Amino acid sequence: MKSIILTSLLLSLSAGLASAETSVQSCNRTVTFDAPPERAVSNDVNLTEMMLVLGLTDHMVGYTGINGWNKLDAEMREGVAALPELSERYPSKEVLVGADADFFFAGWNYGMKVGGEVTPETLEPFGIQVYELTESCTHIMDKDRASIEDMYADLTNLGAIFDVEERAAALIEGYKADLASFTDSLQTGKPLRAFVYDSGEDAPFTAGLYAMPTALIEAAGGTNVMNRFEKSWGTVTWEEVVEQNPEVIVIVNYGEVTAEQKREFMMSNPAFAEIDAIKNDRFVTLEYVEATPGPRNIQAIKTLAEAFWEN
Amino acid sequence: MSFLLFGGPVVLLVSLSIAVSVGAVAVPAGTVWGILANKLSPRLVEQTWSHGREAIVWNIRFPRAILAMMVGAGLAIVGASLQAVTRNPLADPHLLGISSGGAFGAIFALLHSGLFLGVLTVPLMAFIGALTATLIVLGVSRLADASSADRLVLAGVAVSFIIMAAANGLIFLGDPRASHTVVFWMLGGLGLAQWDHLIYPLVILILCGAWLTLRTIQLNAMTIGDETAATLGIAVARFRLIVFVIGALITGVMVAFSGIIGFVGLMVPHIARMLVGGDYTRVLPVSALVGAIFLLWADIAARTVIAPEDMPIGIVTGIVGGAFFVWLLGRRSL
Repeated sequence: MKSIILTSLLLSLSAGLASAETSVQSCNRTVTFDAPPERAVSNDVNLTEMMLVLGLTDHMVGYTGINGWNKLDAEMREGVAALPELSERYPSKEVLVGADADFFFAGWNYGMKVGGEVTPETLEPFGIQVYELTESCTHIMDKDRASIEDMYADLTNLGAIFDVEERAAALIEGYKADLASFTDSLQTGKPLRAFVYDSGEDAPFTAGLYAMPTALIEAAGGTNVMNRFEKSWGTVTWEEVVEQNPEVIVIVNYGEVTAEQKREFMMSNPAFAEIDAIKNDRFVTLEYVEATPGPRNIQAIKTLAEAFWEN
Repeated sequence: MSFLLFGGPVVLLVSLSIAVSVGAVAVPAGTVWGILANKLSPRLVEQTWSHGREAIVWNIRFPRAILAMMVGAGLAIVGASLQAVTRNPLADPHLLGISSGGAFGAIFALLHSGLFLGVLTVPLMAFIGALTATLIVLGVSRLADASSADRLVLAGVAVSFIIMAAANGLIFLGDPRASHTVVFWMLGGLGLAQWDHLIYPLVILILCGAWLTLRTIQLNAMTIGDETAATLGIAVARFRLIVFVIGALITGVMVAFSGIIGFVGLMVPHIARMLVGGDYTRVLPVSALVGAIFLLWADIAARTVIAPEDMPIGIVTGIVGGAFFVWLLGRRSL
């Protein structure tokens, strides 16, 4: 009798221990967590915001890579008020190890460089586990085109890692419902041709097939004129833009050059005068944090849809 | 000279201890010495620090400092040897196409092939690129009969330009958002240093450094002139090419792990000559010593000037190198 009790006790104990272990897929790696990380660091605005909406600030010891390039807006500043910025640009190994971090949420070109000093392989000997932003996986493996599902996948995986699955699922349900009710009430027509203008005067830097704005534009009832450009973000030519004749231009706002300056540049250049978007002065601005994968993508889709289909 | 014999290594050790003690994260000196003492003899000092601090000092800073010493010494002795056999005071390891080959290999690995061998992919591809470039220069020099000093330099420069153009083409064709990865690699950095990688530069540095040290007499003869060297029994053209290949091996392995760090190979031999004169039995070891110390300090600067950011070390060596050359111009003779 005793042995049966003992055995069942041991079995339930081991089952309990086994269920405490979580495995998630991060790009081409499977990462296993024995327990939710206690000292997490996230890089860049959009990734940090994902941590915030899941309510994970007390599992974090800091964030990196924001004030070097973007400014935190009021809403985010409040959210991260208690946390230090460990590095204004991408962190070095020493910064992460010095913070005694055990988890780094970053992406390729969102805090990590391929072949660089900070990668999942180089951080592993220091006991720092890494979860990579899904959209950025295109830099190290073959991946389908970008979609809002990437963002949902990241939230789900973070939920699993930090044991807040219900919160993550609820958030995603909320976003999906919000989006559905919004698009249902929308009067759309033929997909609107949109061009994403990030930066560049001699040649435009834009979002291609594998970058988030393509997915956002499509969710809003448009189509990215550059979606045959099989890259994430990249430089194309103005000729191609003129040829595709977009009906609306989506400006990504960040850094030193303002959205107004970018609009001015396009409006004033005689080479673009025949483009529909210029003739009708149709511009819409997305903030950097809205155009990169993160919770603000929902608002971004609404902003785009409202601008595309202003009735 | 005896001052250098004793003072030099002391300065090196002091520099090493400073390099291990400073960085983005403030670690008190007592902790640093405690960690190092414990590595020599476990539990010698009571552990009052976190594992993170120990990891920083022992697994991040220490390998980095050792790599700095090896790269500094390696590039310096290659520069000194090339300056001897080409009789050109501007000869440097990056001049003869070796580094552009390394850059090509690294860029290919970073932007196009992916890291199919894990962390060692970039160093391996860079090394292969450097050796391939060396073979191309050797081939060109054979075809164009360019084994004299000036013509070898020209062949190297020509090959270097062509390979760099191809490398830039790779950058252009790659993902633009990833191009800053390449820029960082090309500007040089010691951040990738880890203990199990250090064996490769160490072995090559010891073997090739020993080879060069045993031939300082021939190097001296080459600095005087081809005819003089020939009358002293040296197979001039062949010796020049062998020194070039030895230099390529050292440069290739150093560039593979640290990117392109300029001016060390160019300046340090001049400094060595200013300290001990033109005799290569002294210039070679002194170049190695000064190169190691110089790069240690350049790395300290790179890690502290804009802390917690890590400045590419090539920027530091570039500024110091440029200033050095302005000063050198002010002197009468080179």
